[in-house]
Amino acid sequence: MATFPLISNFQYDFVLQLVAVDTQNTMDEVAAAAAHHSVGRRVAPQPGKVVRVRRQGATEFYPRHARLGDTDIQPMETVEFIFCEA
Amino acid sequence: MALLERNEWYDIARNTNWTPTYVSESELFPDVMTGAKGVPVDKWEVYDEPYKTSYPEYVRIQREKDAGAYSVKAALERSRIFEDSDPGWVSILKAHYGAIALGEYAAMSAEARMARFGRAPGMRNMATFGMLDENRHAQLQLYFPHEHCSKDRQFDWAHKAYHSNEWGAIAARHTFDDLFMARSATDIAVMLTFAFETGFTNMQFLGLAADAAEAGDFTFASLISSIQTDESRHAQIGGPALQVMIANGRKEEAQKLVDVAIARAWRLFCLLSGTSMDYATPIGHRKQSFKEFMQEWIVGQFERTLIDLGLDLPWYWNQMIAEFDYQHHAYQMGIWFWRPTVWWNPAAGMTPECRDWLEEKYPGWNDTFGKAWDVIIDNLLAGKPELTVPETLPIVCNMSQLPICAVPGNGWNVKDYPLTYQGRTYHFNSEIDRWVFQQDPARYRDHLTLVDRFLAGHIQPPNLMGALQYMNLAPGEIGDDAHKYAWVEAYRTSRYQKKAA
Repeated sequence: MATFPLISNFQYDFVLQLVAVDTQNTMDEVAAAAAHHSVGRRVAPQPGKVVRVRRQGATEFYPRHARLGDTDIQPMETVEFIFCEA
Repeated sequence: MALLERNEWYDIARNTNWTPTYVSESELFPDVMTGAKGVPVDKWEVYDEPYKTSYPEYVRIQREKDAGAYSVKAALERSRIFEDSDPGWVSILKAHYGAIALGEYAAMSAEARMARFGRAPGMRNMATFGMLDENRHAQLQLYFPHEHCSKDRQFDWAHKAYHSNEWGAIAARHTFDDLFMARSATDIAVMLTFAFETGFTNMQFLGLAADAAEAGDFTFASLISSIQTDESRHAQIGGPALQVMIANGRKEEAQKLVDVAIARAWRLFCLLSGTSMDYATPIGHRKQSFKEFMQEWIVGQFERTLIDLGLDLPWYWNQMIAEFDYQHHAYQMGIWFWRPTVWWNPAAGMTPECRDWLEEKYPGWNDTFGKAWDVIIDNLLAGKPELTVPETLPIVCNMSQLPICAVPGNGWNVKDYPLTYQGRTYHFNSEIDRWVFQQDPARYRDHLTLVDRFLAGHIQPPNLMGALQYMNLAPGEIGDDAHKYAWVEAYRTSRYQKKAA
């Protein structure tokens, strides 16, 4: 376990934000941590949808249950959080 | 005794170049300080300042200007501007004084460098007066807000801001260090006087003076107009310097200085003037939108100045013009949402009438920025103000030191522009900011943004309270909504009906 700072670029939000997560977190948990600072603050909730994680500019998402420490995401890398159909 | 007319003696009297005998020319005028770029001194001597004055004339005129500004202040001391103005206007005053007053003092040092190391006698002469100008501006803009300190300690930030680690202050210091505190005399002439002052300060002061008069703040209007008359004189130091550089085969170097300076000035201008003009200025007093103002003065007029001098438009000109549509809206949202981290009380500028105005001036605003404001308004109506303040830091651009932000909602286009240099990854707001870094990485590489400092453990405890302490924001100084959220009530009875684009 290790604290892992990420840059959140959350769909429909206006600003990049610092998000502290953990290497043991799954992508769903990382998405929830990022959502805490955007959804319900400046981004309207989208009930029924899930938030998926991808590298900036990528089209493919990481698997929802992949652990952060097992991916190639680097500390302080900008990742995109995108609303998707569940 | 008969006195000669100024034009009969000026050229001879100000020709103060000489041949040194005790030290070498390069010791007296080191390249690192002059920035002469290999252009020999005799080529610099053709520099011809367009505005000529003598010391007695300067002192007489400045005395009259000071007498005018101070007497308007004295006469209107009981005008109750502080008590009776819209809080948005008071916020503009606080933001302006904090961001500008000590910047003027820094500009005095820059003018002093030109006065000592300028390669052209005319430049040194003009800069001597410019140095005195900037000292006057610093004094005026510290003295005028001081009368309000006893009523509102946020006005104390007129002096305090530059001595703090508040994020806006870091951004201003980083920019001004780059443009004129850590530059040679020639670079200062181009970057400070030509790009920053001709391109932007003139406009900021002209626009602000008009807004002040419109808002009934004649003290501030006369102060700003008084400063502006100095600026428009000493801003002319840069033009002839550019002409000398271009005439002697240094266009490429000149162009780069101009391009870097405009890029950096644009960010600060966007933050301060953009948000002031389109949000904090009460809607009834707005003369034109920030975008209209930029199109008239920067695109319409400054663009011509660049071309007339023989320069090209900066490579990013179209990108900058595209930013007129959104960048200051994003900065406004950042300032308002992170309002505990500023030394003034940001005005939301978000009544239904304001939104109609924004939609009219920026078609599509409701579908982009309006979407994010909708969520904020819903939270305030639902009694959840805790969701309208931050729990984390925005990522700050490694060049502008301002949040990396752009369009939210249905126009979402926010993006990081990263660059890895010598093993460290830097983050930028745009290709323009990244390009500036790439022009001289060694110059910028070691600076830590507020976020870098947070991650390095400089901010303790690592939370909002720790950040406020780090930024030197004391209780009573921390920003909150300028109108105490009164504007939200307009939405309580009826939800905002979007005006058609």
